[in-house]
Amino acid sequence: MAKVRIENLKKYFGSVKALNGIDIEIKDGKFVVLLGPSGCGKTTLLRCISGLEKVTEGKIFFDSTDVTNLPPKSRNVSMVFQSYAVWPHMKVYENIAYPMKIKGYDKNKIEEKVLWAAKTLNISELLDRYPAQLSGGQRQRVAVARAIVLEPEVLLMDEPLSNLDALLRVSMRSELKKLQERLGTTTIYVTHDQVEAMTMGDEIAVMQNGVIQQYGTPEEIYHKPANVFVAGFIGSPQMNFMEVQILKEKNELFLRNESLNIRLTDDLKTELGNKIQNKNDVFILGIRPENIHKEKTDISKFEPIEGKVYFIERLGSDTIVHLEFKGTRIVSKLPGDVKINEGESLKMYIDLSKIHVFSKIDGKALI
Amino acid sequence: MIKKIFIIFVSILIILWFLTPVFLIVLASLTPSEDYYDQQRILPKRLTFDHLYKLFVVLDGWRATLNSLQVAAMAIGLSFLVGLPAGYVLTRYVFPGKNAIRLSILLTRSFPTLIIAVPLIMIYLRLGIGDTLFSVALAHTSFILPFVVLITTSILSGISVEYEEAGMIFGLSRIGAFMKITLPLALPGLAASAIFAFIMSWNEVFISSVLTFVNRTLPAQILNTAMTSPDYFKFAAGTVMAIPAMVFIFFTRKYLMSMWGISLK
Ligand SMILES: Nc1ncnc2c1ncn2[C@@H]1O[C@H](COP(=O)(O)OP(=O)(O)O)[C@@H](O)[C@H]1O
Ligand SMILES: [Mg+2]
Repeated sequence: MAKVRIENLKKYFGSVKALNGIDIEIKDGKFVVLLGPSGCGKTTLLRCISGLEKVTEGKIFFDSTDVTNLPPKSRNVSMVFQSYAVWPHMKVYENIAYPMKIKGYDKNKIEEKVLWAAKTLNISELLDRYPAQLSGGQRQRVAVARAIVLEPEVLLMDEPLSNLDALLRVSMRSELKKLQERLGTTTIYVTHDQVEAMTMGDEIAVMQNGVIQQYGTPEEIYHKPANVFVAGFIGSPQMNFMEVQILKEKNELFLRNESLNIRLTDDLKTELGNKIQNKNDVFILGIRPENIHKEKTDISKFEPIEGKVYFIERLGSDTIVHLEFKGTRIVSKLPGDVKINEGESLKMYIDLSKIHVFSKIDGKALI
Repeated sequence: MIKKIFIIFVSILIILWFLTPVFLIVLASLTPSEDYYDQQRILPKRLTFDHLYKLFVVLDGWRATLNSLQVAAMAIGLSFLVGLPAGYVLTRYVFPGKNAIRLSILLTRSFPTLIIAVPLIMIYLRLGIGDTLFSVALAHTSFILPFVVLITTSILSGISVEYEEAGMIFGLSRIGAFMKITLPLALPGLAASAIFAFIMSWNEVFISSVLTFVNRTLPAQILNTAMTSPDYFKFAAGTVMAIPAMVFIFFTRKYLMSMWGISLK
């Protein structure tokens, strides 16, 4: 188990800047998820940490050891590959035993550890089979067993669940998470699935274009997105974005555009007030669909909006309402049992304690 | 049902088409000379190993066979020594000029052997390896190597690089991962291409006859001696040439098929 520290890591493939200055410090024993759209550099970062890829610039430390130029075998890392990469010419037992055989463990010790790993992953009955005789889910368990058997300092997983069917994926999520908690191995887990990231990660690093956009707990990422990209990437349906200006009138702050005129609550006013320099700047207002309600309560301040229901998605547990509101469309997430019809006029309420404001220029969050 | 009969019929036709000449060659090689020249007779009264015996023992066929084996072994060894790493690099790495190299590998096959034979002899004489088995092996390598490079490229690209990378993660060096993980997975295909290469060398006659006088390979020897011998002798030579190749192919046909990407059954 080790702390992982990465300093200004860059990896270029010719002119493609797959990683463009990664800084991150992963605490010992944490389960960290690298989350981002396809092509953002997650796999490349994982491969740099494993040593399979040489870095262009920057440093990687495990605890205080600089591993930047060490080959994979000298790093004490394990990896679960997306395709599992369970060696087809070895039986399950040999697959799990092989890493220890390479390192020269004695036979009894190997057997003991293989049996332990197999039991942990519930594959004790499969030890005598070849990978070709296993299902995808079983092969994946073998890959995980092989990865944990040597008790690595850092465990790397690249979209390990993406090739499983939906039901199995959900159950493997919790199983992998529990396993990691029990072993306490520092784990870096790559996925493009935000639900996977939110449910499994102690911490999430959201990546885009080879840069970490935000690093924090799932709560922080969801409730306090650092910029427009993170706000838009996390949450389903996507956050509503609208351009607004911030206007000061009689000691009050207003978010205003053609269709909205929101007076900010006192809390937000103080928070936002000292961050605004230029009066004519344009800002981006962000409102999550789940923070637009059909009824208001007393707990918080609400801004009413009224429009025509353009489209309804009934998902069973939720109802997604697309509201046509003064020329823009606003998406809202309501409970599954609401009685609304397309075409009817509807009044809804924006929870003002949950709104986000971003700078239009650099996309950074102001509140 | 009709379809099945049709398939069987066509299969028999194909088998006859290919096996009849082989059968006739083998039969003629075992036919005593008096029966062979008897116009009234199609099938011989008895079979004899006389011709084969003479070919092997009296005419030094056994020495030529040994030569052939040595040449093939050297050519295969050299071809794989160079071709396997080349195939590995062509599959696993991206580098400028890669496609050009691939193409030019094929281009080497476009020079007629006739044209390079004389210069080759001159060069070999200058190097002091004229009329040696090694010089023939080198010449054979020149046409086996491109084949080995292309085949290993296709075999290796069928083996996911992640198997190798997993090996490196779990304690092997790059070379170790290749030797311990990729090579065993590639072995059936490589064995098949080695056998194919063997047959290429075994059957090659032109370069071998031009380059050597004393140390002739089997086909060169046969070409030299059998041309001036009676017909049944030529057939005996044909049998000696054909049977080993056919036996090899029979035992390795599964691998040969997989080498070319066709799967049997
Ligand atoms: N071996 C490579 N050669 C060239 N470009 C690569 C290579 N590996 C990755 N890339 C590029 O680097 C970027 C990041 O890729 P990757 O790390 O695989 O993304 P992700 O795993 O987040 O989908 C992509 O633009 C990809 O095309
Ligand atoms: Mg990836």
